[in-house]
Amino acid sequence: LLTLSLPVSVLLLAGERILASAAPICVHGQAGCHFLSLADLFDRVIQHSARMHSISSDLHSEFEQYVLPSRNHIGRINRHCHTATILTPNGKENAQRLAREELTEVILKLLVAWKDPLWQFHQNMVHQDDFNNFSSNKALEMSYMVHELRKGVEKVADKMQHLGMISNSLSGLSSPEALDTSSDTSGESQAMSDHDLLYCFRRDSNKVQNYLKILKCRIVPENGC
Amino acid sequence: MMWRDVGVTLILSLILPVVAQGARHTPPGKPKLTSCRSPDKETFTCWWEAGSDGGRPTTYSLFYHKENSETVYECPDYHTAGANSCFFNKNETSIWVNYNITVVATNALGNNFSDPVDVDVVYIVQPHTPENVTVGVLEDEDGPFLRVSWEPPRKADTRSGWITLIYELRVKLEEAEEWEEHRAGQQKMFNIFSLHSGGVYMVQVRCKPDHGFWSEWSTASYVKVPDYIPRERSMWILIAVFSAFIFLILTWIITLNRSSVKHCLLPPVPGPKIKGFDQQLLKKGKPEEDLLVEYLEVYVNEKQELMPEGKDLRDVGCLKSKSQSDNDSGRGSCDSHTLLMEKCGGVESKDESSYEEPELLQGQAGSWERLERGDSQVVDTPDSSDARVKTWPLVFSPSIHGSSDNHHYGTLEMPKQHSTSEITYSVPDHLFPTSTSFPHHHHPEYRDSLGEYSEYRHSRSPSTGVLYHWEAQHHPQAHSNFNIRNLERQKEATGLGLPPSRSMEYVEVQKVNQENQLVLKPLSSHGRGPSQVQFGRAVVDYSKVNGVNNDNVLLLQRQREMAEAGQYCDYREKEGAEAERYPTQQQGKTTKDGPVATQLQESTCLTTSGYVDTVPTMPTF
Repeated sequence: LLTLSLPVSVLLLAGERILASAAPICVHGQAGCHFLSLADLFDRVIQHSARMHSISSDLHSEFEQYVLPSRNHIGRINRHCHTATILTPNGKENAQRLAREELTEVILKLLVAWKDPLWQFHQNMVHQDDFNNFSSNKALEMSYMVHELRKGVEKVADKMQHLGMISNSLSGLSSPEALDTSSDTSGESQAMSDHDLLYCFRRDSNKVQNYLKILKCRIVPENGC
Repeated sequence: MMWRDVGVTLILSLILPVVAQGARHTPPGKPKLTSCRSPDKETFTCWWEAGSDGGRPTTYSLFYHKENSETVYECPDYHTAGANSCFFNKNETSIWVNYNITVVATNALGNNFSDPVDVDVVYIVQPHTPENVTVGVLEDEDGPFLRVSWEPPRKADTRSGWITLIYELRVKLEEAEEWEEHRAGQQKMFNIFSLHSGGVYMVQVRCKPDHGFWSEWSTASYVKVPDYIPRERSMWILIAVFSAFIFLILTWIITLNRSSVKHCLLPPVPGPKIKGFDQQLLKKGKPEEDLLVEYLEVYVNEKQELMPEGKDLRDVGCLKSKSQSDNDSGRGSCDSHTLLMEKCGGVESKDESSYEEPELLQGQAGSWERLERGDSQVVDTPDSSDARVKTWPLVFSPSIHGSSDNHHYGTLEMPKQHSTSEITYSVPDHLFPTSTSFPHHHHPEYRDSLGEYSEYRHSRSPSTGVLYHWEAQHHPQAHSNFNIRNLERQKEATGLGLPPSRSMEYVEVQKVNQENQLVLKPLSSHGRGPSQVQFGRAVVDYSKVNGVNNDNVLLLQRQREMAEAGQYCDYREKEGAEAERYPTQQQGKTTKDGPVATQLQESTCLTTSGYVDTVPTMPTF
């Protein structure tokens, strides 16, 4: 419970810090909050994912440049990302073949799967001397962003459901099922090396960004598609 | 023999390898994968370069396996992308999957593997160049600008959101060396401002996926900017032209009204100056004295101008009224005609020393000038009641009158100090028409023989000094200069018991000299003139003024005739000088008229003999 409460408290603090900077976004247009259209929501979320991916890319290249040589990696271990169990479309046609709900689900699954490992990664980084402070800040930001992005995508899903664009089969995602997924992979995620983690997350953040774009251009194709 | 065999074997063993070396084939050299690129994130191509071929025909093959899979596949297409290339089509391509690719060079002798390369298609995207790059010139209120528009490369699917491209363009003048680059983001259109008028621009565009490589630059598009004038410059040109126009108009106007502008800016201040008048003395005169001065218009020197006295203007009316109402008939010649000083209101002679300047009223200044110049115009004839009355400021006036009488006489005082006794009177032409005889009362009501009005000019303020330049030209033998003295004379006169009076002295007009100048001669005790003034007697030399010549000089004519009896001028004694005092019949009487020189009193004095009564002397200079 303690181990859970610590990251949760940190995340809550982080969430407050992040959310306090902007007016709350309401989906249904309640009073006192800033109303955004679906297109605006998508744009925001896509921007978030882009930022997240760029941070992960930076960290990965830093790792390869500075840390890996010192670790004397010999050969390449078969890389195995803990998210490999999640079935994700590997091509344009595959992605377009998926339904909106499925695509949204995939996105959410990915985001959920990465929340804890990233937090762990950051914790490990703090105690190691491999990374400098700048990198550890990036890792922290990365983990925050995953959390925030997930919330954003959930809001988008809610709005889409509200608008009737997707069915209500998505509602069960925030249920313990997601937690189960993460717990299934949590053991594996700990076995991942830092390098593999960064490699896997860089790819998965790219997937999330791409899927969101596809979803947006499919649902609200007005601008930018 | 054996040695020969050994030698041959040795030689053969040495030569053979060398010979065999050239004909040996080796396995191929190691190939090398140079690059793998995907134009659309759906297919990709890898290229390699061959190593040495080892002398044998060598074939290359590419093998790959995907991550976490041991299955090795060979390149499906060696030809589409050209030599030494492998093309992966859509079915073969998986995104977000790591490809481990190896190229093998094989010849008869062996094969050689290249180093494996890990490729993830997502990170090797390099699109084609943007297509349909169009550049146009559009107009704006600030001038023309370029609008560049393009389309994404055909293969890149941006419509579904699969690929996101960002664009960049570069511009330069055709003859310039360096490009000007602009990031256009995801938009497919861009505006370029601040163009060189008349220049030819080159534009190129390229694109890049959010994670990938830049495409090649598109082929250059040329565009010519039309000639135009920048708006700010055109505005300044307009302002400059407008100002020049206004300036020209102003110059023209000023040129047309040159004279009046000059008149306005540099008002001419002419005025007669009379030598012998002391302006300072005049000015010391009491301001309260309300004198109407009639004075002779004496022209002396154009250069000597007198300042007009503004306040004297007020007295014009005063004088006029008085003069008009006055009736001089029956008055003695000395009463009114010559030295007439009229005072409006009471007579205050406290200011004995006040001389009054020949007033040069500004308005009248012109006429003065005109007179002096012999202007043919009829100078303001005092027809109208408000005719400017030009009187000779009879400085003497205060001295003359002490009573309520309005008339003053002016006398010509002979300055003591001057030895010469030359008095020259120059009278403006208009007062004395040359042709006719002179003697007219300068009363505005009176006309001279020509019917011209004499003009009076009076100044009220005693402070104004009358500046006369009197130059009496006497008998050639004896000359004396008279200086019309102001205060001093009056004071002297006062000492004689005539409070307002001044000592006066007769001056006899001897003749008119060549320059048409009156030659006067004092008739005082130290005078030398033979003639003497005798009271009641007619043994007086009077000169009749024939007229005024062009130089505004009185033309006198000597007359031996006596003036009519009863017409005596009031002679005032100069102090200490012998003078005969006449009963002050004229004392206090002021005639309002008569510039002295004219003696134009029509009545007695003039009829028989127009003599020039001496004007009270003015202060010397």
